[in-house]
Amino acid sequence: MSLGKILALDKLTNFFNALRQNGGIKGSLYKLYRQDELKDGKLVGEDKYGNKYYENARYFYGRNRWVEYNDKVYLNYDGSQVPAEWFGWLHYKTDLPPHQDPSRPKYKWMADFTENMSGTTGQYVPYSTTRSKVEPWVPKKAA
Amino acid sequence: MSLAKIFSVSSRVRATGASSLVARHAQYSTEGKVEKVYPPNIPGYKYVNAEDPNMSMKEMSNRAAQTLFWTELARGFAVTLAHIFKEPATINYPFEKGPLSPRFRGEHALRRYPSGEERCIACKLCEAICPAQAITIEAEERKDGSRRTTRYDIDMTKCIYCGFCQEACPVDAIVEGPNFEFSTETHEELLYNKEKLLSNGDKWESEIATNIRADHLYR
Amino acid sequence: MLRQPLTRALKLSSPARAAPLAARTFAAQPPAPEKFEVFIDDKPVQVEPGTTILQAAALVGVEIPRFCYHERLAVAGNCRMCLVEIEKSPKPAAACAMPVMKGMRVKTNSDLTKKAREGVMEFLLVNHPLDCPICDQGGECDLQDQSMAFGSDRSRFTDIHFSGKRAVEDKDVGPLIKTIMTRCIHCTRCIRFASEVAGVDDFGTTGRGTDMQVGTYVEKMFLSELSGNIIDLCPVGALTSKPYSFAARPWETRRIDSVDVLDPLGSNIVVATRTNEVLRILPRTNEEINEEWLSDKSRFACDGLKRQRLVTPMMKDSRGNLTPVEWEDAMVAAARALQDCPPGKLLAVAGDLADAESLVALKDLVNRLGSENTCTEQYFPLEGAGIDLRSSYLCNTKIANVEESDFVLLIGANTRFEAPLLNARIRKAYIHKDTDVAFIGPKVDLTYDYTHVGDSASILKDLASGTSSHEVMKRLESAKRPVVILGADQLKTPEGAAILAYTQELALRLQDKLEDKSWKVLNVLQRTASQVAALDIGYKPGVGPVLQDGPKVVYLLGADSGVVSRDQLPKDAVVIYQGHHGDVGAAMADIVLPGAAYTEKRATYVNAEGRAQQTLAAVSPPGKARDDWKIIRALSEIVGERLPYDSLDEVRDRLSQISPALVTYGNVEDNNYFAQARALAQSLQKPVSGKVDVQLKQLEDFFMTDTISRASPTMAKCVQAVLKQKQSKY
Repeated sequence: MSLGKILALDKLTNFFNALRQNGGIKGSLYKLYRQDELKDGKLVGEDKYGNKYYENARYFYGRNRWVEYNDKVYLNYDGSQVPAEWFGWLHYKTDLPPHQDPSRPKYKWMADFTENMSGTTGQYVPYSTTRSKVEPWVPKKAA
Repeated sequence: MSLAKIFSVSSRVRATGASSLVARHAQYSTEGKVEKVYPPNIPGYKYVNAEDPNMSMKEMSNRAAQTLFWTELARGFAVTLAHIFKEPATINYPFEKGPLSPRFRGEHALRRYPSGEERCIACKLCEAICPAQAITIEAEERKDGSRRTTRYDIDMTKCIYCGFCQEACPVDAIVEGPNFEFSTETHEELLYNKEKLLSNGDKWESEIATNIRADHLYR
Repeated sequence: MLRQPLTRALKLSSPARAAPLAARTFAAQPPAPEKFEVFIDDKPVQVEPGTTILQAAALVGVEIPRFCYHERLAVAGNCRMCLVEIEKSPKPAAACAMPVMKGMRVKTNSDLTKKAREGVMEFLLVNHPLDCPICDQGGECDLQDQSMAFGSDRSRFTDIHFSGKRAVEDKDVGPLIKTIMTRCIHCTRCIRFASEVAGVDDFGTTGRGTDMQVGTYVEKMFLSELSGNIIDLCPVGALTSKPYSFAARPWETRRIDSVDVLDPLGSNIVVATRTNEVLRILPRTNEEINEEWLSDKSRFACDGLKRQRLVTPMMKDSRGNLTPVEWEDAMVAAARALQDCPPGKLLAVAGDLADAESLVALKDLVNRLGSENTCTEQYFPLEGAGIDLRSSYLCNTKIANVEESDFVLLIGANTRFEAPLLNARIRKAYIHKDTDVAFIGPKVDLTYDYTHVGDSASILKDLASGTSSHEVMKRLESAKRPVVILGADQLKTPEGAAILAYTQELALRLQDKLEDKSWKVLNVLQRTASQVAALDIGYKPGVGPVLQDGPKVVYLLGADSGVVSRDQLPKDAVVIYQGHHGDVGAAMADIVLPGAAYTEKRATYVNAEGRAQQTLAAVSPPGKARDDWKIIRALSEIVGERLPYDSLDEVRDRLSQISPALVTYGNVEDNNYFAQARALAQSLQKPVSGKVDVQLKQLEDFFMTDTISRASPTMAKCVQAVLKQKQSKY
């Protein structure tokens, strides 16, 4: 065990690392405001919606992978904004991020990811997909 | 101290058998002086009730001094202060997420073949096996003569997420996908129809296919 | 044809199979042969000689698996599923074809039997596709069930690349039956049904071994009025119902026992419903009426119940268009029309699908309003005994007994299309009992050979008086159990009364000479399901005379055959239509009251033999439609002439007051008073010169005869298919 560790100086190093990575004091304050947490880690990838994925094995399992949502959503981030491709990596199902996983299917018909739209105008409204069971008789109109 | 107190309340009932045995034993050996051997010291048993405070002068003044100078408060603050520098034990959802199994049974989806053709053939086995009777299927012949559903409704509020439907499906059409973040503000939004389930499949195919492959050895 | 010694040798001679009603003893029957004992799984059973092992096993409740054997068809013995071990026999024997011998010991559960079954099942499955999930038979498939019960628990099928599975091209056999011939296991039940029961010898096999195919050899549709039954017969999913295809699974349907009303026989049916929708109609076994068959119209016209429906009350608005209104408005308007109507000027016409409850309610209402004009659409001569004696408008022989007859004379009754299952009975008698058939009327195809006597009504006169020199006369005279069937359509003509009189004369003259005094000869085959009940209740047949009076209010109870039209009515006449389909009646109505169809109400219908039966409500009426008798009951309250019944039971009490026969469900009473009817008819035996004609001559006429079948797209497709087949060179 190094002397720095005994004196808990590594905490200090990590703190300054995180501060530097998150864009100095101002950027770090913004991060803290938005995410309640300041972490340093390796950028693993970025999905097409602008969410960034980080990893740092120093944190314990369950906290060692995280996502920073696109700045555009500001405080309206939501767990359902993680697209299907990154879902498995973020939930520790696989260690291969999607861009390094050749076996992930890519079909033309696969749809763009959408977040949970409940409560917005884009929410799903149930409707019947069948015809009505009885066709009523429509009387002929008098000419 | 406090833990011991809590424990004493709940285990008094369980301890009665032992204590009555102890009491009887005491009676035989000390002939009426029951309180002298209390608390008993029998191997295999541990006395968990609050013990009487020691009433010697030294102990009493110690206790009085600690109460007077709020030392417990200072020790409590110290514990709290220490935890600020420790790593938290919780995860910061939605930025960090917990581990999930490939077999996790979340939101349902109807899958397609690589060609884009829907897999479901309206065999209605999922409807038959559904223990909550959450699935409703109506079927008819499509123009090209194939067997297709016209209605595939799942009442997600009836569903108990048992996964029998995906077990029953002969063509891997209905699956319980990995998604669990589909909570809604109204009940109606959880009455999924065929279009919604198919669009779930289209959105989640990447993850669903990976999960199925991860699990293929066990199927 | 089939009447050959070979098929006769194979003919069914099961003692257990005989219809209970037909089991009555006739004087000429030979004494029962002596029984002997055989042992099935060491259980002793007394059987008659000639019983097969399979039948003997059924007597002690041992079920032997089978695919090709069917108790109503000839024995084929080609599926080999029924192999059983017989003690002291080196090889297992086919139980369906093997007659028992005295003291025979059969083991249906031995290792040898089990191994034989497993082997047969394995061979069947080698060439059977694994498409159960998309097969409509799934859930009611004999192959599925028996492979679970009797098949091997593991597979030796290693051809996972499916290089060797047999594949057969599907056949187009018409708009009712879907064929997936790869699933066929060659049980030949459909072939035997087509040639034995339906009488359309279109099916057969070609090739042998793996190349064997069931089909029509040339591209030909299987067009028969009984074709739907091969769907039920097919033990696998090779023949399935096209209109019902992929619609539902058997386990998710509710099945309600009911009665068919699309032909006068009142075949027993099971209505399969789901989510308040009639999905299909299947026959229900009733040995006295339909055995286990059902005609195509009864089976497939059920999709007509979902189209052209009246779902809301309607009234003519100021521009003369029918517009939807609330019940209240329609009822008040109808009640006002009825109140304003002068007593004699009210006419009520009952259509061909009206049930007895609504008939009696309507008649009571009309009578209370001071009118006697309740009529049916179908005419029946009122001269002579008219409709006073029940025997003159019923099939007195009874459907099941037709099988026992030795000579059938059809007078202007094309039974094949007017009552297909009665025709199937006649055909059964023709094949198995050597019954001969004679026919008066135009030349039609009855599916069996008959003596065509001619189409002139005067032949009937000669036959009745006994002066005819035709050979049929001799056959009739010598017959021990003759049957005379008169088509009700003949009675519409001006000479109808005379034709009825001659038929009665002929039939009763024959009946008087019979040794068997309980045998009835006279049959009048009605065309519609409502007619018998309507006549029983006291409706007048035919609307002719009342129409000439110029009725002010016409109440049509499902009357859609067009006997009442706007041109015949005064300009200011109000037409109230109550029924379930928008057809001729609703189109001419001022007020439309939506009623319930036969699958939507619990109602009484009386079939052509006078047997009261009830339908049960399988689904609820669509939209705002209501039970028919309830509509009339509600209307009576608004009119101010409240009918004294509030529940179905009370309506039925009223029915039993009129005639107890209307509510003794399932029973049919023997009719008497033939002599009186004959005496009253004597004076009507006027000379006749017309021709005997039938309305339904060809198969295309059969499919669309009433509002339900006219609304059915499937029936329309059938007509198209028949016409297309006529163009074909085969």
